[in-house]
Amino acid sequence: MRQLRPNRAKQRLAAGQHVIAIEGLNHPDAIERLAPLEPQAFWLEGEHWIATPTNIGDLTRACDVSGSTSIVRVGRADKQLIYHALDLGGQGIAVPHVSTAEDAARVVDAAKFAPIGHRGIYISRQGIDVPDYFRRANDETLVVVFIEDAEALDNLDAILEVDHIDVFFVGPGDLSQAVGHVGEFTHPAVSKVVDDTIRHIIDRGRTAGTVGFQDNMAHVAEVGAKFFLCGAMSWILQGFNDLRGTLEGIEGEAAGGR
Amino acid sequence: MIIRPNRVKERLRQGRHALCFAAWGYSGADHLERLAPANPDGVWLEGEHGDVSFSDLANLTRAIDLIGATPIIRVHQNEAGVIYRCLDLGAMGVVVPHVNSRDEAEAVVQAGKFWPIGKRGSYTSRQGIGVPDYHNLANDQTTLIVLIEDVIGVENLDQILDVEHVDVFFVAPGDLAQTMGLPGMAGDPRVQKVVDETLARIVKRGRTAGVLVTEASAAHLYDLGVRFFMSGPAEWIAAGFKQLDQAAAGGGA
Repeated sequence: MRQLRPNRAKQRLAAGQHVIAIEGLNHPDAIERLAPLEPQAFWLEGEHWIATPTNIGDLTRACDVSGSTSIVRVGRADKQLIYHALDLGGQGIAVPHVSTAEDAARVVDAAKFAPIGHRGIYISRQGIDVPDYFRRANDETLVVVFIEDAEALDNLDAILEVDHIDVFFVGPGDLSQAVGHVGEFTHPAVSKVVDDTIRHIIDRGRTAGTVGFQDNMAHVAEVGAKFFLCGAMSWILQGFNDLRGTLEGIEGEAAGGR
Repeated sequence: MIIRPNRVKERLRQGRHALCFAAWGYSGADHLERLAPANPDGVWLEGEHGDVSFSDLANLTRAIDLIGATPIIRVHQNEAGVIYRCLDLGAMGVVVPHVNSRDEAEAVVQAGKFWPIGKRGSYTSRQGIGVPDYHNLANDQTTLIVLIEDVIGVENLDQILDVEHVDVFFVAPGDLAQTMGLPGMAGDPRVQKVVDETLARIVKRGRTAGVLVTEASAAHLYDLGVRFFMSGPAEWIAAGFKQLDQAAAGGGA
């Protein structure tokens, strides 16, 4: 018999520590090779990208053997989509476009077993050989909802009343559309609404998350966000571009010297 | 349709460096297509040690074609059927490990080139779809790379370098270290000395030398005359993650 695998991201947040969920590596071998970095969490993208029921088992197993929390973003606040992702091995669920208290309550209802919710009864991959799985699962399941629409901002106080949500994630991409600056994630008007929303969430005693990248990380951490979605592809492109720049510099000098 | 040009080969012909992205632990067409902004000259797919197999190759090379890079695969053995099947499935370059003699280098050429150079099995590759004279053009657009990575390969280097139609002689320190009795010590100065000497011998014979590159080694290797470079993402990911992890931790209570 086994013990339920702890949810590292949840543990860190409970201890007041930040969590980085690495996004952009939805490949089991790529995930496992990062084990030496001890990543806190991996983001498996099923709203916009390639995480699907056919690969969530393999992806979350790679997270499990590395000791990182697996978080699956599903396409919408749909009950079966949410618990299916958890059944397949996700330790966390993220749900986009949560704009009302009813949306938020529906997410909790789908992600938690009784007495909190009505998640469909099934032994998840995380529950294999765990005798008290149904009683323990709720404690080790991370729930993230996305605040990313004008309607959600209007309803924020009501949404923040909903219990059992671990992270209220402020999505700058969709909010950029909501405030009339589509795609301008770092536009001052977008940054302002992101910052204000993070502060609002924290003021109510809840945990805030947002996208973190090189230029804004120190700022959004200072504002008080604790959960960050960070794209590995930007690190890879940066590394390759730096190396290319070095080689072209050397090559240019050699050509100039001839 | 005209045959897709081999960018790595073209750059090497022009005397320029070619820089390939090593897709170690990173295969997956949807990942590779997102390398477009980095504009790599080539992408090195890993079939000797990694997960890339025949059934993946067409989808992977299509993604690499779309970003304008040359798809190159390292195969797991110097076997004609393995080499040309990879080319048939869309690779434009093949890397063959442990090439230790003139005969072994010639076997690579025989497998990787059609008549009159070699005996590659006749088949229209993915790269030949709609190309009317594919069998006449393919040889010019195929890169053949042999790995010099054993003490015996270094000893036989002069004969190996006599073999025509090998584009790159790539020196790999990991296996070289173990055949020198220094397993796991690729960075040892004794190994690096042999690597440098071998690269210099290749360049001196007028052939193209290749090796793994980092920011720290780039100037030294370029000065040795190396022009084919490959580098992988592990260190870049680690650097990016650590930077953001520290910035996030600085956010206070």
